[in-house]
Amino acid sequence: MSNNKLTVKERKNMFRRWIFSAGLGYNYESQQAPSVAFSMRKALRKIYSNDDEYIDAMDNHYKYFNVTPQMGNVILGATLAMEEKDGIEAKDAVQSLKTSLMGPLSGVGDSVFWILIPTIMGSIAGYMALQKNAVGAVLWMLMYIAFYWLKMWLFNLGYESGTKLITTLGEKINVFTDAISIMGLMVVGSLVPAVVKVYTPLKFATGKVSLSLQKGIFDKIMPGLLPVCLALLVYWLLGKKSWTPTRIILLIILICLIGAATGILGIAA
Amino acid sequence: MPHFLQDILVILIAAYMAWDNGTGNQITGNWPVTIGLLVGLVMGNVSVGLVIGGTLQLMSLGVAGIGGSSVPEYGVATIVSIYLAIRTGASTGTAIAVGLPVGMLTLQLDVVLKIINNFYAHWAQRLLHEKKFKKIDAVFYLTVVTWMLKYVIPVTLVVLFGTPIVKLILNVIPTWFTNGLQIAGGMLPVVGIGMLLRYMPVKKYLTYLIIGFVAAAYLKVPVLGIALLGGAAAYAVYMKNIQKTNSTVATAEQDIVNDEGDDFDE
Repeated sequence: MSNNKLTVKERKNMFRRWIFSAGLGYNYESQQAPSVAFSMRKALRKIYSNDDEYIDAMDNHYKYFNVTPQMGNVILGATLAMEEKDGIEAKDAVQSLKTSLMGPLSGVGDSVFWILIPTIMGSIAGYMALQKNAVGAVLWMLMYIAFYWLKMWLFNLGYESGTKLITTLGEKINVFTDAISIMGLMVVGSLVPAVVKVYTPLKFATGKVSLSLQKGIFDKIMPGLLPVCLALLVYWLLGKKSWTPTRIILLIILICLIGAATGILGIAA
Repeated sequence: MPHFLQDILVILIAAYMAWDNGTGNQITGNWPVTIGLLVGLVMGNVSVGLVIGGTLQLMSLGVAGIGGSSVPEYGVATIVSIYLAIRTGASTGTAIAVGLPVGMLTLQLDVVLKIINNFYAHWAQRLLHEKKFKKIDAVFYLTVVTWMLKYVIPVTLVVLFGTPIVKLILNVIPTWFTNGLQIAGGMLPVVGIGMLLRYMPVKKYLTYLIIGFVAAAYLKVPVLGIALLGGAAAYAVYMKNIQKTNSTVATAEQDIVNDEGDDFDE
């Protein structure tokens, strides 16, 4: 099969077809398989000039597949290298490689691309946006544009080193995600007093002296006392099975409506 | 910009968002704050876009950790909230209270589309066996268009019918009610924070959570400063732990060497 080697350009084309489609064919039966087939279609045509072999190989890619899109490059890069080298004989190996790598790579990919970055960038950009500052949001977009090259690098890594890299990479990424969660927690800690606004306009009047509950008592105990209490309440409720985030949103809206009607809660200046 | 042009662009943003979020790019994804910036730009009021986008962003922090179908579609909620806030003059809280239910309904559409996509997948595979290879791509593009409908349908409905309905509601409901919603707008970010804390290793790294709180509440350090501080702490912990894993690997290898040595002696 050595005469059917892909050029660098054709490999990049395959990478782009994946990265610009990844989850779009998502369905309940085979999940991302249509996108995989779409991205491999041209590259495989080059490898398999025989129609029957081509159909066989494509059928293989219409089987169940689901991975964090950003990490899919590594797997597809590795399978592409296998098919290029061994042709249709690699069929079973390709399938087992795909199914065995989906889980671990999604574990890493989900925590990096769906939790870690959205936590840190979301906190920073969200906080800045509340102050009508677009810098955080723009930084976030620039970061994801730059990730194009990171994903290209991952694809080439998969193509060149196949399965070997996963074990060595896995350990390091675990240490990395654990450490970076410190950064996330610090930012989250700062968010509670900065973005959660709970304010009561209530005043105690004893004789001629009136004491504002918010300024005179709560703020004296600790800045952000009420937001902290609210955060603890939400945290506690989320630990209970019967409380979904949607229910908690409704509960907060209800509390605010009652608070506004009775004058217990006010709009913070 | 004339209103109808804004309407069309807002619907196009919805289509773009579906595409971008479904791929491996996710340059704006369906993150409220980035989408909010875009919608704000189109609607000619960036600050409203940012404030609503920011509020929804903070509300939805940690959503991926919970996942599943119990959370609204925040991207659609963002577009709808900002669009209506700018067109009707509703406050952040009121706009979000209208946007979130639309985001909830969008989730139902998601289920339908994933079922329809199944049909496209079989169609494409049938074409493959009939050796109509070029047509496979065409079917895939149809899938993409269908996928976009997920966000285009709810946003279009809001663009067509939302403004008069919300204006009518705003005229009828009493002030304490809109005040209540506005207060809720200030409190709701706490939901995202709560979800994050559920997901992250709070007990292991409680120290850093408290440091972040003190830096913001007492010392008034801005968020980027706190992120840098957190980055520094994370770097220190990473260097410490990576050395630990390296040394365990090294000792493990040494053990193997020793074992082999023993075998050889016997």
